[in-house]
Amino acid sequence: MRRSLVIVLVLAALLVFGVVYFALDPSTSGLFPRCTFLSLTGYKCPGCGTQRAIHALLHGDVAGAFRYNALLLVAIPWIALCLYAESRRLRNPRLYALLNAPLLIWLFLAMVLLWWLLRNIFDW
Amino acid sequence: MKYWINHNGVQSGPVDLEGLKEMGLTSAAYVWHEGLSDWVKITQLPELQGLYEMVEQVAEPAVTGQPLESQPAATQPAPAQQAPINYQQPETPEPCPPTNLVWAIITTVLCCIPPGIVAIFYALKVSNKYREGDIEGAKRASETGAWWCIAAIILGIISMPLGFIMMSAGAS
Repeated sequence: MRRSLVIVLVLAALLVFGVVYFALDPSTSGLFPRCTFLSLTGYKCPGCGTQRAIHALLHGDVAGAFRYNALLLVAIPWIALCLYAESRRLRNPRLYALLNAPLLIWLFLAMVLLWWLLRNIFDW
Repeated sequence: MKYWINHNGVQSGPVDLEGLKEMGLTSAAYVWHEGLSDWVKITQLPELQGLYEMVEQVAEPAVTGQPLESQPAATQPAPAQQAPINYQQPETPEPCPPTNLVWAIITTVLCCIPPGIVAIFYALKVSNKYREGDIEGAKRASETGAWWCIAAIILGIISMPLGFIMMSAGAS
């Protein structure tokens, strides 16, 4: 079935990424792309530090990951929940509607914008 | 062959076999195509075997035994309007169109590119419109939001080499 093929491909891609980000340190290796926004403007974007944070997380260093990109630590469980709800959108519309409530989306949006602003002010 | 689908109270179609595969249907879906006298359960059409996921049938009043006047006329190409009345008043509300929120969040956190934030705005729009009962508006916002997610991913990918160039330019 097409659906299971997609799931297998996604898991394979995740595994490859996981191995690469575990083995190589983005803060020292030159192989990883640098943030375009930071390069162009000199300001950090909400996603800056994600690659280093993933590397730290894969090595079990949660505090380090938090220092590199605190937003990622909040986003990962959020993404996992939303992906689950997304996969069951038609069978469990209530869970989907709950996780996609305007209030929750506002909350995430506000968090991203605040994080963006504060990390540039305090150099987080 | 074109099929019309009724899945959890939501009608769609006409779609061909390829389109049907993409819809992520379950065994609870009903199908109609030209030549059938009434909607049938998807499980009853042998050519659609394996194109849907089996789910347990929820206890629901049977929708197959509809009075004759509500059956789609086989000569009419648009049975969507002729659907049995039961379908229009489903017990469960129509599910929310995809808000694409996950992809918006992922692109915002990973792609380092502001279109993800626009996509979050569209997720909000879908959710708001859905709650106001404006299903059509929600669907439109859902489509626009999906394009912003795709734009964010593409921009993220093509901007990677740009980041490298800027990096080496800054280093020199």
